[in-house]
Amino acid sequence: MPQTLSTREANLFRTVIRNYEDKQYKRGLKAAEQILKKNPKHGDTMSMKALILNAQGKTEEAFALAKEALTIDMKSYICWHVYGILYRTNKNFDEAIKAYKFALKLEPDSHQIQRDLAILQIQMRDYQGYIQSRFTMLKARPHLRQNWTALAIAYHLDGNLQQAENILTTYEKSINTTPPRTDFEHSEALLYKNSIIAEMGEIERALEHLETDCKRSLDRLAVMELRARYLSQLGRNEEAAKAYRALLDRNSEHPDYYKGLVGALGIAADDEAALKSVYDEYAAKYPRSDAAKRLPLDFLTGDAFRTASKAYLTLMFDKGVPSTFANLKHLYSDPFKRDTLPVLAEEYLRECGSVDEGAGSGDSSKGKGAALYFLAQHYNYHMSRDLARAMEFVDKAIELDPKNVDFHMTKARIYKHQNEIGKAAATMDHARSLDTKDRYINSKAAKYQLRNNANEEALATMGLFTRAETVGGPLADLTDMQCIWYLTEDGEAWQRRGNIGLALKRYHTVFNIFDIWQEDQFDFHTFSLRKGQIRAYVDMVRWEDRLREHPFYFRAALDAVNLYLSMYDKPQGGANGVESGRSQLNGEDAAERKKAAKKAKKEAQKAEREAAEKAARQDPNKAGGASQKSKDGEETKKKDDDPNGTKLAATTDPLGDAMKFLGPLLQFSPKNIEGQIAGFEVYIRRGKYLLALRCLRAALALDRNHPKVQEQVDRLQKALGGALDSLAPKLQEVIKSELALVTAV
Amino acid sequence: MDIRLLRPSDIPLIQHANIENLPENYFLKYYLYHALSWPQLSFVAVDVSRPPKTPYDYPKIVGYVLAKMEEEPADGVQHGHITSLSVMRTHRRLGIAEKLMRQSQLAMVETFGAHYVSLHVRVSNKAAIHLYRDTLGFKTEKTEAKYYADGEDAYCMRLDLSFIREQLREAEEEEEADEIPKEKQQEDSSAEGRKPRTN
Amino acid sequence: TSGDVEDEVHPTAKSAEDRKAAAALSKLDTHADDEAAPGREVDQEAVKNAMNALGGGGADKKETKKVKVDAADVNLLVEELELSKPRATELLKAHDGNALEAMRAYLQPDF
Repeated sequence: MPQTLSTREANLFRTVIRNYEDKQYKRGLKAAEQILKKNPKHGDTMSMKALILNAQGKTEEAFALAKEALTIDMKSYICWHVYGILYRTNKNFDEAIKAYKFALKLEPDSHQIQRDLAILQIQMRDYQGYIQSRFTMLKARPHLRQNWTALAIAYHLDGNLQQAENILTTYEKSINTTPPRTDFEHSEALLYKNSIIAEMGEIERALEHLETDCKRSLDRLAVMELRARYLSQLGRNEEAAKAYRALLDRNSEHPDYYKGLVGALGIAADDEAALKSVYDEYAAKYPRSDAAKRLPLDFLTGDAFRTASKAYLTLMFDKGVPSTFANLKHLYSDPFKRDTLPVLAEEYLRECGSVDEGAGSGDSSKGKGAALYFLAQHYNYHMSRDLARAMEFVDKAIELDPKNVDFHMTKARIYKHQNEIGKAAATMDHARSLDTKDRYINSKAAKYQLRNNANEEALATMGLFTRAETVGGPLADLTDMQCIWYLTEDGEAWQRRGNIGLALKRYHTVFNIFDIWQEDQFDFHTFSLRKGQIRAYVDMVRWEDRLREHPFYFRAALDAVNLYLSMYDKPQGGANGVESGRSQLNGEDAAERKKAAKKAKKEAQKAEREAAEKAARQDPNKAGGASQKSKDGEETKKKDDDPNGTKLAATTDPLGDAMKFLGPLLQFSPKNIEGQIAGFEVYIRRGKYLLALRCLRAALALDRNHPKVQEQVDRLQKALGGALDSLAPKLQEVIKSELALVTAV
Repeated sequence: MDIRLLRPSDIPLIQHANIENLPENYFLKYYLYHALSWPQLSFVAVDVSRPPKTPYDYPKIVGYVLAKMEEEPADGVQHGHITSLSVMRTHRRLGIAEKLMRQSQLAMVETFGAHYVSLHVRVSNKAAIHLYRDTLGFKTEKTEAKYYADGEDAYCMRLDLSFIREQLREAEEEEEADEIPKEKQQEDSSAEGRKPRTN
Repeated sequence: TSGDVEDEVHPTAKSAEDRKAAAALSKLDTHADDEAAPGREVDQEAVKNAMNALGGGGADKKETKKVKVDAADVNLLVEELELSKPRATELLKAHDGNALEAMRAYLQPDF
């Protein structure tokens, strides 16, 4: 039953809301208690109290109270709204949507509830729901342009481009004064509409629209790029060439512009001389442009290649450009180019030799040093590898300039390829010591320490640059700052050391970071409408849709799946991988592993202790408390009750746990064969033969000669030989026919 | 190497380049905030010569400039601000940082009418100070004590962008002149020399 | 909550740099201005007509075929393909309720 309060209490209730909005939680709670003293069963007040408790981090208490409030006052939209907010802040968006819908039924005119619902719908990609919500919001406030744009976006994302365009046009027609030139929202809305027209494939119309409506757009680069693209798509080559030239005058380091220009000029792909002259023109016009000089090396052949690359190498060596090799190594797929470049570098060296060393700038990373450095990298590269010669060249370079960080860095890489992991780490650390103010070399040193399984040293190295005041030490800072490469490498090193707990812990941390990245878009659903930057927003939404295809996710997730597989195959009792008695390994091996695991655990504890001590030393007032991670400050970081991953390692269902990582792997990177192979392994162990077969089919489509895949075909056949009869008849039928397809090849 | 506008999908590797190179780090959301508020202002340098290992490889970022407009300028003057600029040490000496900065500066004026651009730099960062002051023409406004988390001071620097406004105005006048029938055009048609350019 | 947002929100941010980032992010989700945003000079009549032209409903209801699906088949797909119930039903409907076809289709690599 809706309950009425006395005037005094009604005022108090408004105070509670205000206190909540101002984040004055203590005051808010006090006021709520005052109301509840007189009206102990006032649902709305109970709900507001729950909301405040939630904001203070008392989630369970909050939910219990909000539920109680609802049972008391089912007809209060405030109770439902609060219930929705609780779900929303605890990331259960599906339940939140349901609650908001109830609230909206009770209070259809609430702008706030409708808006919150719309945000959740787009966050969950419920396009139909979002269209409905945005339509309602537009009806309520048609004078706001952003409401029109939002509805257009809703249709656009749902794939209804025509309707999206209609909506934008309808609004445009209702404006009765021309917006000033500096009206960014207007300028962007027009370009957004232009992108929709182009997306419909109506290039002719898009170009016309661009040249009329978008002529004065504030985003000049976008207009120039789109115009060039449309013109060349329409085969209007002369104008397209002009347009690409204008773009090159803006930025001569963007290969696409050259490609566009060359295409518009109609130069044949094998007319090297004509192609070269285009680039030469820009190399002359913009002497500092790298692309104009480097790109011709991609298509030139024979003597022309030799001449051009000699000129390029000479210039780069004279300048001492450290990325010279990195910028050319893609040419190595052509054996002639692969063999020519080192010869030219040697020639350069011989020519240097006749001149007095270091006579030039006195900078030994230039000239001879640069050529030696190039050759060291050349022989270290997998397509032209000769590690002994690589070492020779890098040592000569170091002799020339013993304090050069880059030279030592390459020496460390050569050691790594020689499988001298310890030496590699030591050499990289030496490189680090030569420039202790540079975080790049510091990061590399830590990475090599991790490759050498020296997790503790690596953390100490990283700690030289992480922020000293972060509670929890360097690891906490790296986690807060979403430093995925470190977490992944650290996990892999712990895994090699047999510390399953810490390895799993790191992989789960990476997983959680991706969750955060997905949630990060939440605020932008309204923010971008206010800012009016619509194309960037749509780009973001589409990227977020495939967020977990990122190799950062793939690597950590595959590590986790493989680790869970090995845990299933070799069950381990005790924490963090300490071997159990019922292991299938022989005694000696088990004892060995046990010892290693124990040692690893001790080391981990020591590292943790040291980090905590260090943190305490730096800030005695903050021995574990507030976190900087939270957006709202009031939301303090929950204490990690499993910092060493002991609970993770103690799982009784490793295959079930693996599924959390595997699902996105298969969904977002289906073309990565490693994921399909791992998927097969999980599914076959779980007796999900159809899904195992699905992974196998995908793997076969990707690379039917992969040795692992052939082995899996045999294993699936064998497994089914025993199990087929026990399966459901329809399942049997599908498996039989589909398996025949797989084994027939 | 390819210098182009930043896209949202670049952000994980921009964040990676940042944390690998610099002590000032940010959440992914802060990069998104830039990319979605002023998508015209931030640029990346991409290593295009790495052969992709999987169909899901993202272009490797070897340098970036993360830029913004000051939302509530204290002096009431529209101006841009460089939040972060970094080039991998393996990709130095190609002028990448300078090229990134020039792209950003041009867009600041074109799109948002910026009058100047400001930035902070560590007082000990000689290479960066050289770039800003000697190559790009920034002037030191003042020193901000203990600006950085480790207690180091920052120079506040700024660059007046009126030279770009001037170039844009000239280019526009030329364009309008172009639209007039040929015979009425002025003699001086060495247009290329006056187009605003960042090369 | 204009006031001193920075101090209130980020007591632990140590540097000016951090405070700037924190303040920017804390303002992302404020909705205050969409309430207060001034309407542009729009022709109210034109807007009204435009609204009417859009019709009453926002989303077009997608036509769903009426296909009978066997609950046992739905359960089989849920179990063997680990799909959600709605997704399994959808898949079956797309194949006219034929479980064999539905399963075979699901096995095809989707790239």
